[in-house]
Amino acid sequence: MNLLREVVDASVALVKGYGMTLRHVFRPAITENYPDVLPKFEERYRGIHELQRDENGLEKCVACFLCSAACPANAIYIEAAENTEKERFSQAERYAKVYNIDYGRCIFCGFCVEACPTDAITHGHKFEFAIYDTKDLIYTKDMLLVPDSRKEKGRKASDQAA
Amino acid sequence: MSEPVTLTINEKQITVPAGTLLIEAARQNDIRIPSFCYVKDLTLQAACRMCLVEVEKAPKLQVACTTVCMNGMVVRTESKPVIEARRAVLEFILTNHPLDCPVCDKGGECELQDMTFKYGPGTSRFIEEKEHQPEQQVSPIIFFDAPRCILCYRCVRICDEGMDVKALEPIGRGVKTIIGTGHDTLDCEDCGNCIDICPVGAITSNQYRYKTRPWELKYFGTVCTHCSNGCKTTLSVRNNEIIRANNRDRTGINEEFLCVKGRFGFDYVGSGDRLKTPLIRRGGTLQPASWEEALGYVADRLGEIREHTGPDSIGALGSPRLTNEENYLLQKFMRQIVGTNNLDHRRTADYASLEVALARNQKPEALLNVDQIKTAPTLLVIGDDPTTQQPLVAFNIRFAVRRHEARVFIINSKPVKLLRQAVASLILKEGSEAALVAYLARREGSTLDKVAAETGLPGELIETFEKELRASSDVAIIFGAEVRGPAIHDLVDFGASLAGITRYLALSDFPNSRGALDMGVVPNLLPGYAPLGGESASARLEEVWRGSIARQHGLSEPEMMEAISTGRMKAMLLFAANPLENPSNPLDRSSGPALGATLGKLDLLVVSDLFLTETARQAHVVLPAASFAEKEGTMTNCGGQVQRLQRAVLPPGEAKSDLDMIVDLARACGALNWMHGPWSSVLKEIALVNPGYGEVTPRALLQGGIPQTTLAASREALPDIADLNALAESIRSNRSRSLYASGSLALHSHTLVQLEPRAAVQQDFVERYQM
Repeated sequence: MNLLREVVDASVALVKGYGMTLRHVFRPAITENYPDVLPKFEERYRGIHELQRDENGLEKCVACFLCSAACPANAIYIEAAENTEKERFSQAERYAKVYNIDYGRCIFCGFCVEACPTDAITHGHKFEFAIYDTKDLIYTKDMLLVPDSRKEKGRKASDQAA
Repeated sequence: MSEPVTLTINEKQITVPAGTLLIEAARQNDIRIPSFCYVKDLTLQAACRMCLVEVEKAPKLQVACTTVCMNGMVVRTESKPVIEARRAVLEFILTNHPLDCPVCDKGGECELQDMTFKYGPGTSRFIEEKEHQPEQQVSPIIFFDAPRCILCYRCVRICDEGMDVKALEPIGRGVKTIIGTGHDTLDCEDCGNCIDICPVGAITSNQYRYKTRPWELKYFGTVCTHCSNGCKTTLSVRNNEIIRANNRDRTGINEEFLCVKGRFGFDYVGSGDRLKTPLIRRGGTLQPASWEEALGYVADRLGEIREHTGPDSIGALGSPRLTNEENYLLQKFMRQIVGTNNLDHRRTADYASLEVALARNQKPEALLNVDQIKTAPTLLVIGDDPTTQQPLVAFNIRFAVRRHEARVFIINSKPVKLLRQAVASLILKEGSEAALVAYLARREGSTLDKVAAETGLPGELIETFEKELRASSDVAIIFGAEVRGPAIHDLVDFGASLAGITRYLALSDFPNSRGALDMGVVPNLLPGYAPLGGESASARLEEVWRGSIARQHGLSEPEMMEAISTGRMKAMLLFAANPLENPSNPLDRSSGPALGATLGKLDLLVVSDLFLTETARQAHVVLPAASFAEKEGTMTNCGGQVQRLQRAVLPPGEAKSDLDMIVDLARACGALNWMHGPWSSVLKEIALVNPGYGEVTPRALLQGGIPQTTLAASREALPDIADLNALAESIRSNRSRSLYASGSLALHSHTLVQLEPRAAVQQDFVERYQM
């Protein structure tokens, strides 16, 4: 009698279990195939910063130092310099000659983005910076600055022409 | 003075002296009334309308900066109409202000920013385009950005009243008004006071322009070391680099003032030409060496020379550029360890004779300091040109005239700019100042006819001048190196015959001329102007130093040079001294060769300096020294006010302060009881041996005080007048220098060298005025 009951119970459990499996086979998968497929973040995700350019391709940053003043982790280091007639980097008189963010310190709070009066610094969606040496966590301006879209377009056009 | 008045501000009863301005009365009682154009001690402008307050029974709001307090006045500073009025005023001020704060150099320390934040409307109703004008560079160091200007006229007033230059003026009317120069460039003394006083970023400095932001900097209040006035200057430092110098908190003896050297002349500190390692001459060329090697070499050679030719074949020059502590240790090293009094430095004023003359006349309170010039009722300025050589003294003289209607008397051999403030003046033949002073003191054998012939002035002119002068009381006498030796005794005798308390200030070049003399870096005086032969002073020194000292007189600088050429002098130690430099014109290197050949005869020449100077190039050992911004210590200004140097940056390479160097050298010479202590421990020892430094304690200095030295010479043991007169002979005046020169250091200041040609512009001013 007991044996019969055990057999029935086990079969029910099996059907239940496989039923669950069978149901999930037809549902969309939630596993992310990182790193083969990069994750998609919400628009407001705070990843590695980007220094933006204006419509003329000039850097938006005018080296006002407000981001570094706002930074609670003291992660931003700037050296300013003056634009000259020959070399113009930003719209205003001053530009950032050196712009470093130390990602060993950054806590991704977004205060810098909030503080920026020219919308020059924004959060990008990149997030991978595992490295072997903490020194490599200091990102310099050339790593943060977005490419000049006009130059980029120009290059693509010339590539196609070639 | 009439009775004090009582009034009510914001329900608070306050009593102030009659004639006090409402804005001052409020500020004295911690009631904040905002203002842009009001600056204490400058004329009233009432241009900005920011200080509007409500006064009961007045039909409209009143400007607090020009309203005088009256009995029974009832004032409200925070009522609704006042708040609304301030908001409206700020909205108007901001109509044309460009709001480029993220770029503006003033951002972060801007008064307009602060005011708008606190009282402002936050938004503007104006949608019209802002009036724009391009930024102009008006001088090598000053940029003017017209749209940022809020027309408070502070710069116009400081330039006119404070500096008596009148280079800035308002041009145009209404909304088109700008502060202009009248022409393309700014012809002025480059003091840069307009930069500091500007409440917004309209006037900015070329040196600091777009380099950083004020909150990124570390601030070190220290003393400017270009002249003997000892202005406070605040060094702004980022990344171990001095970015700018100003007096941002308007404290110190100079308050809002700084001259071109104090504000822009610090850049030699970061010069690439600085010495970074000790150098030893090997095979004819100077080659880098370690400190142990260099000092060991010096100690060995000194020992040999001392043994062969005696201690008196060794000499040392200290410097008015060194701190009190360094000069003190240098003379201690020479007197105690080497055992000689061959000590001197470049002297530019005769403090020793002044001290002794005052001690003989028992006038201990008669030393005038730089601050007291501001309140002196009568000023007699003999010689020197304070405008170019002593800018703070000149500024304070102008202050005394402006605020207290002081009467200024001038005796000079050249037409100086201060003549504009003078009530009477005598322009006499060069070198005849002493004759005139002797006549004023009624020295025997000096008659009016004789002095008239000697000075080339009509006798009546001298008589009226003297009559005017004798009609005044409490005269402050300010004199340059023209009055020295016996003339100072005459001057003090003359001063004693005047009404009230006569006080004296000797003007010298270099930051610590007075300190170097106070420390006894001279061949025949001990610290505190004690005579070398005097038993009590020598015995006290031996007790404090725990060792015997040399008793016979040493050689002065010219005597040492002569002893070198005759071969009696074998070794010289030069600390921050550059005898090969032409004192009147450092750019001229022609004075070098003759003296250079003399120095070439030495067996050992040791030079400690910041740069490889003409003298250092001839040395056997060169030691790299720290600059004023890289060391701690004290400096005594020409008025005997002692101030502290603060270390702001690290010295380049292995350079170290002369204080450390001298202690290291003493230890290398076997004096193992010489210990490395901070400056304060040396200062305590100075107070033991120099009675004038009794109140100069490290505690007083560290608390931010400016202790005053007192008369050190004591009546019981006065040095021999003949000795002092001999010393006075070798005083060298630097008077012919321009405003931009201050010895070999200024040569390495990029900004000062760049500005030097503008000295001609100033000469032009003075001449134009004379016409």
